[in-house]
Amino acid sequence: MEARLLLVRINSVLQFVLIFLTIIRSYVHASTTGQAGYVDKYITKTYFEKHDSLIDPEFDNFIANEIPLTLCKVLEDGNCVLPTLSNLHRSVIGEGSHRHLSSSIIFKFQPELKIKLVAHSCEVIMTERLPSGVFADPFELQHLVQRGVFSDAAVFGDTNLELPSFRSNRSVVEIHMSIGSKMLSRHHDKFEINCEVPLHARYPPLGLGFSRVEFGQPDLFMCCSLEVNGFKRSCAYLPTNNISDYKASPLAWEIPCGIREHAGVVSAITYCFALVSALLIVVLSFCYTDNKGSSKPKSL
Amino acid sequence: MPGISFQSLFIFSALFRVFLIIYGEWQDANMEVRYTDIDYFVFSDAATLMASGKSPYERSTYCYSPLIAFLLMPNSFLHQTWGKFLFSASDLLVGLLIHRILKLRGVPEKLCTYSTMVWLFNPFTFTIGTRGNCEPIICSMILWILMCLMNGHVLQAAFWYGLVVHMRIYPIIYALPIVLLLDPQHFQPGKKPVLVEWSSRALKPSSATSSSKTSITQYIWNFCINMITWRRVMFGIISASTFFFLTGLSFHLYGWDFLHEALLYHLTRTDPRHNFSIYFYHIYLHYEHEFSILEKLISFLPQFIVQLVLISRFALDLPFCLFLQTLAFVAFNKVITAQYFVWFFCLLPLILPWSNIKLVWKGLACIILWIGAQTNWLAWAYLLEFRGKNVFFQLWVASLLFLAANTFVIINTICSHLYSPLFQQLKQGGKLKQGYERI
Repeated sequence: MEARLLLVRINSVLQFVLIFLTIIRSYVHASTTGQAGYVDKYITKTYFEKHDSLIDPEFDNFIANEIPLTLCKVLEDGNCVLPTLSNLHRSVIGEGSHRHLSSSIIFKFQPELKIKLVAHSCEVIMTERLPSGVFADPFELQHLVQRGVFSDAAVFGDTNLELPSFRSNRSVVEIHMSIGSKMLSRHHDKFEINCEVPLHARYPPLGLGFSRVEFGQPDLFMCCSLEVNGFKRSCAYLPTNNISDYKASPLAWEIPCGIREHAGVVSAITYCFALVSALLIVVLSFCYTDNKGSSKPKSL
Repeated sequence: MPGISFQSLFIFSALFRVFLIIYGEWQDANMEVRYTDIDYFVFSDAATLMASGKSPYERSTYCYSPLIAFLLMPNSFLHQTWGKFLFSASDLLVGLLIHRILKLRGVPEKLCTYSTMVWLFNPFTFTIGTRGNCEPIICSMILWILMCLMNGHVLQAAFWYGLVVHMRIYPIIYALPIVLLLDPQHFQPGKKPVLVEWSSRALKPSSATSSSKTSITQYIWNFCINMITWRRVMFGIISASTFFFLTGLSFHLYGWDFLHEALLYHLTRTDPRHNFSIYFYHIYLHYEHEFSILEKLISFLPQFIVQLVLISRFALDLPFCLFLQTLAFVAFNKVITAQYFVWFFCLLPLILPWSNIKLVWKGLACIILWIGAQTNWLAWAYLLEFRGKNVFFQLWVASLLFLAANTFVIINTICSHLYSPLFQQLKQGGKLKQGYERI
């Protein structure tokens, strides 16, 4: 009798533990992959949880099919009246190995949308798929976030700062820019976002003088955190391919590269120079001892 | 020039460093270009990770011993400038130790003070600590090791040597000259080693050291016979034990990440990005394929030959030997960054009182050539990195000129130096004593 009671108690405890673990597991699962219909803190993070490296068709597929773009549904807006992209102007600013990728984005929206955008803490998220040959420093981006330049920023993919481009993989920079009331109050029906992402050049493969790196279009999302849904984030994709700016002239960065023809001469002279310098020091060390007449290191 | 007391100099240096740290905080907060070294943020982040129970190697580009992160843990709960104050205090400690070492060797007070000023007011040195670089800690430990040896505290020196090699690999090049110095003719039981006074430097070498010349063959033979002494063995055991204990503990706590980042990375580092080394362009041009064993050996040969010859010629004048070795090591290394210069700057004041080099014009020539070669390199590097010009070849030529300038400085330093062994050779005891010393 007592044994049976004990078994029943053990069974109850085990069931309780099982239910508890299931709850924990679902919480952990939800927090890493995002609850259904809502987007995690970083859109790109989910891609790199499933893929080792950035491949454009796979990333396109990820955006089209794997991100829950439910903003319209959540806003209960059957017509899905969201800001539309009016203009996108891109340029690479600066000289040398450290430049800024500048994006000037103008959105048009219907005035009745203004209140919703401010009320629901909306932000524009821009993901830049960086070409092989340039990288962003995550710590530099964090510094910009601390200074309030962006509301958030992160780098995914290959973040090794030291490797040359032929030994490294591509990376994605995700920039969050909040749509504040100040931004919206300037114009009746449009707002402009300016974003400058600091980038750095890797050492390119050897060539004839300069290596050309071309930038593609960024991916833009509008994401809002709605109180009615416990401040979970819902996003919508804002297509950029109807803007003509990019199609006319792809954005490029010319990076100086080593010249292959130099290899033989440079190696030969480097070795010889080092050897001659070493021999000079060696000869002088022996001559010094003799000239000074001092005892050589004494018999030890 | 009116006399300056060392105390005033030291207080002024300390206040100046405090000012620089405060200024650095202001510049970081108000200007786009930060005063603080990027490495300091790496140390701080690693220390924060360690404070929260995580591995400091989760911070990318942290490639140091976990001890550095440990020392900086107060950054996260005291103030972010804790590390800068620690490094600047080490920087001041280096100044103190330089002064103390020179006094021990009988250098007059005025000359001690002027020599110490070469460290305390060197722009490289007072910016490196206040910007948050950890090299002053390493320099202070090296000088402390030297002081321990001078005071006959061999075992203490061995402990600190093991510790400093764990923190930074490069002091391993000092192993052989230190072992050579632990000679029974310098260290005898119950007796402190006797330092050679500065005032005897102008006398004939036969007065300062003992007698006749020895042929190379006999010298090698004598060294081989006397090589194994209990002091040398104990020095080796204690320093190796300290090194392996700390390395083993770090490996136990942080695994292969520690081994790769803090040890193997430095031993095998070949950086194709531009730096002062003559090898950078050669490495970049061949980065797409692995170097053969022969190519690696050829690259290593000049470094190896120079180190061996400098040790064999100057080991007994230990501060001079360490200075030359460090300068040559940096000059012939595959990667050279500006922070490496501090490694020999801390040893330079220790040899100045024994140098005949006149500031006008030989001394100035060395300074101008060295700084000029650096400035030339920096100018081409600026054109490459900040103006995007393809000047790889010109930059590489500039690095050759920098090696030439370093060689010029080494040669002139040797030519102008009055060789002065650190210790006097004590009279040998009886045969029994000699037998006791040898294992």
